Amino acid sequence: MSEKYETHVKSILAECPDADPEAVSAAFAKYETEFFIPPQDAMRSILRRFKGETTPTPSSGSSGSSGASGGSSAPKPTRKVSRLSELKGDDREIEIEVEIISHNIRNQTIRGEEKQIAFGLLEDNPWEENGEKTRWEFKDWGPNSNITPGSVVRIEGASVNEYQGKMSLNINQSTRIAVIREGTRPIVAPGEPQDISTLPSDGYVCIVGRILATRPDQIHRKDGSGSIEVIRGRLADETGTIGFLSWEPLAHEVGTLLKIEGAQVRTFRDTPELNFGRTTKVEVYHDKNFADVEALSEQTMVTLSELRDGAKDVDAIVQITEWAKRTFTKDGEERFLWSGQIADPTGRCRMSAWNELPITEDQLPLTVRLKGVRVRAWQGIPDITVDDADQVEILDAPPWDSELDLKNHTVEVALHELSTGASRVGISTSALVVSVREDSGFILRCTECRRVLREGVCADHGPNDGNSDVRLRLAIDNGLSSVSVLTNKEATLSLLGMTESELQGAIDDVGQVAFVQSLRGKMLGRKMNASGRSIVDEQGAMLLADGASMIEEDAGLRATEIRAQWRVS
Amino acid sequence: MQAGTTRAKRQPAWHILASEFSEATLNEKGSGEYDPSFVITKLGAKVNRVVVAGLLERLEVRETSNGSSLYQGQMRDPSGVHYFSVGDYASESMRELTLELVKKIEAGEPVLLLMVAKSKWYQTDEGAIYTSLRPEEACEIDAQQYALWLTRTCEDTLQRMKHFTDSLSAEPTREGMVAAEIPEHMIDGLLVARNHYGDIEIENYTLNIMQALDIAEGRMEAASQPVAAPAPSTDADGESGDAAAGGENEVKDTIVSIIEQLDQGDGVDFETVLTNTVARGFDRTLAEEKLDELSNEGTLHEPRFGWFRIVA
Repeated sequence: MSEKYETHVKSILAECPDADPEAVSAAFAKYETEFFIPPQDAMRSILRRFKGETTPTPSSGSSGSSGASGGSSAPKPTRKVSRLSELKGDDREIEIEVEIISHNIRNQTIRGEEKQIAFGLLEDNPWEENGEKTRWEFKDWGPNSNITPGSVVRIEGASVNEYQGKMSLNINQSTRIAVIREGTRPIVAPGEPQDISTLPSDGYVCIVGRILATRPDQIHRKDGSGSIEVIRGRLADETGTIGFLSWEPLAHEVGTLLKIEGAQVRTFRDTPELNFGRTTKVEVYHDKNFADVEALSEQTMVTLSELRDGAKDVDAIVQITEWAKRTFTKDGEERFLWSGQIADPTGRCRMSAWNELPITEDQLPLTVRLKGVRVRAWQGIPDITVDDADQVEILDAPPWDSELDLKNHTVEVALHELSTGASRVGISTSALVVSVREDSGFILRCTECRRVLREGVCADHGPNDGNSDVRLRLAIDNGLSSVSVLTNKEATLSLLGMTESELQGAIDDVGQVAFVQSLRGKMLGRKMNASGRSIVDEQGAMLLADGASMIEEDAGLRATEIRAQWRVS
Repeated sequence: MQAGTTRAKRQPAWHILASEFSEATLNEKGSGEYDPSFVITKLGAKVNRVVVAGLLERLEVRETSNGSSLYQGQMRDPSGVHYFSVGDYASESMRELTLELVKKIEAGEPVLLLMVAKSKWYQTDEGAIYTSLRPEEACEIDAQQYALWLTRTCEDTLQRMKHFTDSLSAEPTREGMVAAEIPEHMIDGLLVARNHYGDIEIENYTLNIMQALDIAEGRMEAASQPVAAPAPSTDADGESGDAAAGGENEVKDTIVSIIEQLDQGDGVDFETVLTNTVARGFDRTLAEEKLDELSNEGTLHEPRFGWFRIVA
């Protein structure tokens, strides 16, 4: 018997006197060398094995939860409600999620001491868009600094106050306020200008900004009853720029500094816009230190990675890598559209022009400066639209390393940036695989729209035979963000190191569930790199991968690095 | 431009050691039906989903009162044990894997497992909170992959320990945390964790990490510890048959560890001990018997009637 495990073997023998000490010792050695389980951790498993099956009697009919370990807590008896109407006048320690409607601070003398308290209105049912909502007054004796108008907060440990039949909420110093959503609809005091970069996605605001662009436009009524004259343009301050739409005449020229009160922010696609209407007050503002048009205009220059659906008046320097004229027929009339691929060092996207540009194919790749173009997205991928040829200026050389082959350029993007940024083309990222979905493998796509058939049926085109395709549906994660990944046929086969018929054979051999389980054995918890394009929306980010590979790592090396980096010895 | 819609996004998975997860006694659940539920650890990790790994130590079926099968298991890493369950709600692939694993465990085969799981918590009537896991996907791994998981988990835990330590000198507000350069994803968790757990000792996590890194580097000698003298024989109570001794010792171990964890100085009451022992898959009558035995043999004492403490 190996001396090494002497005490451990003795422990086992004390419980299982008939066990062979050599076999027990060998078991410890196997756990340690093959499975990296030190003997003290292998004890129970080995004991179980040598005892034969002596499992504790399962309890029956118990309604307890699954096994668990833990400690204790001394929970406050909080009463959790979702509506104010559920509360009674003497309720204490209540918990509720509300939206803060207004918030004011006043000084009050309490027992001879000058003290600040806050008061205002709050509203229940904050998540339902047009739901029934009840408003109560509240008093905050803290006062808590994280209560701001427009925010949604969870109040834990407040008490109800009833005075002459009127209910209100008392927030004390011990009450916890958790901000769930920062104020997106701040009710700012009138006449108090906000920075453009901090504007909410909807609501009424006041800003001071300089006009960068302005042009008359018409909006055609859908019912054909005529059109409305409007002014479109762009305003900027030092924090950013924003497009505007004025329903009232606006005679100010480019360069004019304006103070605008009561403008309404509306968000179209992913891009906010200011609307000026009858109640909006527009006046010329004087501030000698305010940045001039030239300085402010630089902010409208964006990279392809920053493009957002619905953006207007965008300036960018890009390289055109492909360009072709297309013909299509509309209302029986033949029309032309020019489109192609463009790139900059941050990524790639498409560009379309409604007018012919002075570009021939033999000039490509060609670097151009785009001015005042707009962005539309198709399947989440931005597409720049050029309405006039004079929006495009041909440059002699790119402002970046001209050796860069942008056509095949892939930009490495951190997972968190990918999941929180705009949709992008030509990117790659690395993270750990945390899910291999059960529908990975062969799928049938609708013959009309390529959508995946569910039990032979397309949601749009009904039952059809479908075309066979191969893909993996994964989720990758870095502990901070999670992104779903769909690998196309090529990427899937190269990742698995199989041909399509080998893959079919593998699935036929063991069945779909066991096949997916075998993929998990190869991928789950391991690092992978995926490249392709990303689509980011409210549900999160999705990466459509045309390339994928697993990344091998050396645990011993990493452990040593960690020791050094964190000074763990 | 923030909006409430971010709530629908998939929750990230935390690499976490059994010790950090099992010591958590704080949870959070939004009021909405589909709001994610979180377990918040002492280090401020606000955990909905985890990536965990270790030696599969137990996996057995338990018939529930409504006739469905619930598989309960425990998985050991260098820092402690995770408890998990796989029920009828689990995916087909997870249930198939569970059946295979049960066979291996019954045959005494060592199994190293890696799982992506949802964090669950359960509160007893007495207010004690227990954490457990509900695996979504899992696979057997080899020692190399286990070692990699250990390094990732160590690194993430070290990072959390740093944020935790940094947060101690910060104002206990969101603004204070931002000023102390606490990253966004840790702020909420650290704020409520500090409030709930108070002053905590994190030295034990350092020890867990040192051991885990030893294993990852293949330095098994350093990671190995001798065991204490063999457990006292159960013959003392006059039981001659040894048939169920392992199981019974396991009950005793479990009871002792429950009391160890729950005792806040006054001991732990009878009902809490039993509820929690039963919650871990043991028979109530057996648990009552063993609690008595532990008391009689002097492992436990009753400072007042029905409250148990470990004899120091």
